[in-house]
Amino acid sequence: MPARAHLESLLKARKLDVTLTHLAPWRALERQQQDLAETGVPAVDAALGGGLRRGHLSEVIGGRSSGRTSVMCRALAAATSRDELVALVDTNDRFDPLTAAAAGLDLSRLLWIRETGDATRALKAMNLVLQAGGFGLVVLDLTDVADRVVRGLPFTTWFRLARIIEGSQTVALLMASEHLGRSSGGSTIALERPSPSALWAEPGSHRARLLSGLDIRPRVI
Amino acid sequence: MPPVFLLPSSFSLFGCLRCTHAPDLALAVAKDFSPRVHRPASGVVVLDVSGLERLLGTPETIGTELLRACGGAADRRRNGSALSVAVAPSQIGALLLASVAPGLTVAVDDLASALAPISLRVLHRLLAEIHGVTVLRPKRAAGSARQVAFWKPYESAFNVFEGWGLTTLGEVAALPSAELSARLGQLGVDLQEHARGCDLAPLVPDPDVRRFVERVELEWPIDALEPLSFVFARMLDPLATALERADRAAAALRLDLRLVDRSTHPRMLQLPAAIRDPRVLRTLLLLDLESHPPSAAVDIVTLEIDPAPSRIVQFSLLARARPSAETVATLTSRLSALVGESRSGTPVLLDSWQPDAFEMRRFDTSGSTRQVLCDGFDTSGSVFIRRFRPPVAVRVRVEGGRPVRVAVDRRGMPGGHVEQAAGPWRSSGAWWDRVARAWNRDDWDVALSDGSVCRLFRDRDGGTWFMDGVID
Repeated sequence: MPARAHLESLLKARKLDVTLTHLAPWRALERQQQDLAETGVPAVDAALGGGLRRGHLSEVIGGRSSGRTSVMCRALAAATSRDELVALVDTNDRFDPLTAAAAGLDLSRLLWIRETGDATRALKAMNLVLQAGGFGLVVLDLTDVADRVVRGLPFTTWFRLARIIEGSQTVALLMASEHLGRSSGGSTIALERPSPSALWAEPGSHRARLLSGLDIRPRVI
Repeated sequence: MPPVFLLPSSFSLFGCLRCTHAPDLALAVAKDFSPRVHRPASGVVVLDVSGLERLLGTPETIGTELLRACGGAADRRRNGSALSVAVAPSQIGALLLASVAPGLTVAVDDLASALAPISLRVLHRLLAEIHGVTVLRPKRAAGSARQVAFWKPYESAFNVFEGWGLTTLGEVAALPSAELSARLGQLGVDLQEHARGCDLAPLVPDPDVRRFVERVELEWPIDALEPLSFVFARMLDPLATALERADRAAAALRLDLRLVDRSTHPRMLQLPAAIRDPRVLRTLLLLDLESHPPSAAVDIVTLEIDPAPSRIVQFSLLARARPSAETVATLTSRLSALVGESRSGTPVLLDSWQPDAFEMRRFDTSGSTRQVLCDGFDTSGSVFIRRFRPPVAVRVRVEGGRPVRVAVDRRGMPGGHVEQAAGPWRSSGAWWDRVARAWNRDDWDVALSDGSVCRLFRDRDGGTWFMDGVID
C-alpha cells in the first residue's frame, strides 16, 4: 500500500491523477471544470463544454472575417478578468490594442510580441514565453502567414509546444487559417463564415448605419 | 516600466545644499547629517533628512543647522561663496527652492504654493545642470555629444512651453495632464510633475557611500561572449554575496568593457525589479551584449551595481501564481534580443483620437491599473480589427460618394465589389504637428464580395484610399 500511495502522490504531482479509476466520477468532473479556461464567447464555451483545457494546446482556425480575432481578443479579455497574465505572439503585427481594450482586455497584463512576418522567430518567442511559465493564456497568431511557410514548419513543433505546458495552468492557443496541430486534450475551434458575415445596426431615424460585429459560428472538431 | 510619481508625503523630508564654488564642501557637510546623500550635479547635494526631527527639531531647525554647518565650514576654508539651503518634502522641491535664492528656504506644508511663482527658467537651468549640459543660449547647449543628444527633447519641451507663453512653474503645474501628455508625451508629464514638486524616482544614495564594484584585467583579450560569461560569473558571485550581506539587491548594472583598441564599451542595464540572483544578472548581461556587441576584443571588465533595498515578497495561497521578477526580466531581455527592443512589451493607449495611437512600455507583472479609454470611443467591444501597419494603399471606385469596388495589387489581400458599407466617419487631429502626426481622414466599414469585411479610409489631404485593416 505505501508503494501505491507513493505512486498516486507522484501522479498527483504531475496532475495525472485523473487517470486513477478509484477517484469518484463527480470529483473528476469537478476537477475537469476547474481546469477549463472560459473563452468569453458563449457559443464557443458551450461548444467546448465550458472552455479551453489548461495545460493543453488548442487552435482556432477560420477564414478572413470569420471572427478569429474576436475569439482571440475575448479569450484574452476573459483571462485578464480572472487576474491572469496573458501573452500574444503576433507574427504579422496585426493586433489592435484599442478594440481589444474596448472588449475588456486589461492591456497592463498583456505581453505583446510584435513580429514582422518571421514565423520561425515567432515560434522561438512562443517557446520562450511558454518556458517562462506563469501565463494563463499564450496565443500564437499565424493567421496571415503564407501557407507554404506554415506547412514548412516541422510537424514536431506543435508536439514540442504542447509538451512544454503539459501539467501547467497555461492555455496555449494557435490562430491559423487551416488546421495545424493541437495536443491530445486540446480543441480545434473551426469558425465558419456565413454569407454575409457582417452584422449591421439598423439605421434609426437619427443614426447612420453602423457595423455592429460579425456573425460567429464556431464548430468544435 | 510605467512611470511612478512619488508624491511628497509627510514622512519624507529632503534637504538640498547648494555651494557651486566649493563642490566638496556641500558633500562633506551632507554626509555629517545623513548617510543617504545624492549629488545630482557638481556643488549640489540632496540628502534625506527624514527622521532628523526627533534629533534636531522642526524642519526650520534642521535647515538652520545645515546652513550653520555649511557656513562654518566655508569660514574655516576662507571661502566666501554664496550658500543656499532648502528643506522640502521632495527632492525636486528642495533642489528648486535652493536654486532660487541664497540662504535658507523651508517649504514643508504647501510645497506647490512655494514652487508656483518660481520662474520656469529655474527648472530649465536646474535640469540642464543635472544632465551635465551648459545652456549657452536659449537654443544651444554645450556638453558632450551624448549629453547634448539626451538634452535635446528637454530643450524642445521648454521651447514649447515658451511658445505657449508659460513663465512660471505654477502655470505648468496647472496644465491638464492628459492634454499635455498627448502633445509632449511622457516628457511633458515628467516636467509637469517636476513643476508640481513630485519626484520621479526615489533618492538613490551616492555610489561612493557604498560601492559594489568588481574589476578584472584579463591576461588575454576575449572576443567571444561564451568565455566572457565565465568572467561575469566570477565577478557576479562575490557581488551577490556582498549585496546579500548588506541586505541590498541590484537596481541597475553598469558594465564597462575596455577594449583592445583602447576604447570603452559602456552598457547600462536598468532592471525592472531589484534582483540579486547572480545567474539572472549574468544572463541579462549576456543578452544585452548579444544585442550590443563590443567592436573589439575585451581587455578589462568593470562591473558596478547600483544597490537598492532588497525585495520582500509575500506569497499568497489565494492569489494566482505569477512569474517572478527575475523570470520576467530574463524573458523580456530574451524577447528584446530576439525581436528587437521596441517590439515586445505592454501596449499603452494614448489619450488621442488618432487611429492606432499607442506606445509600448516594458512588461511589468505588477499589473498596474486598467487603462481608461477616451470618452466617445465605441466601448461595445463587438468589432475587432486586424490592422495593417502601415495601411495598404488600395484602388477604390467611388459612385455617388460611396465606395463600390476595392482592388488591391498585393496577393492575398481582400478585394471585390462592395456589398454593404457604412460611413464615412470623419476624424482629424494633431494639426499643430503636420509633419509627423497630423491626420485627416474619412473611415468606411465595407463588406466585400469575397466575404471579407474591411475598414477603409480616404486621406482627405491627399485623396488616396487605404485599407486600415480587416474586421475579423
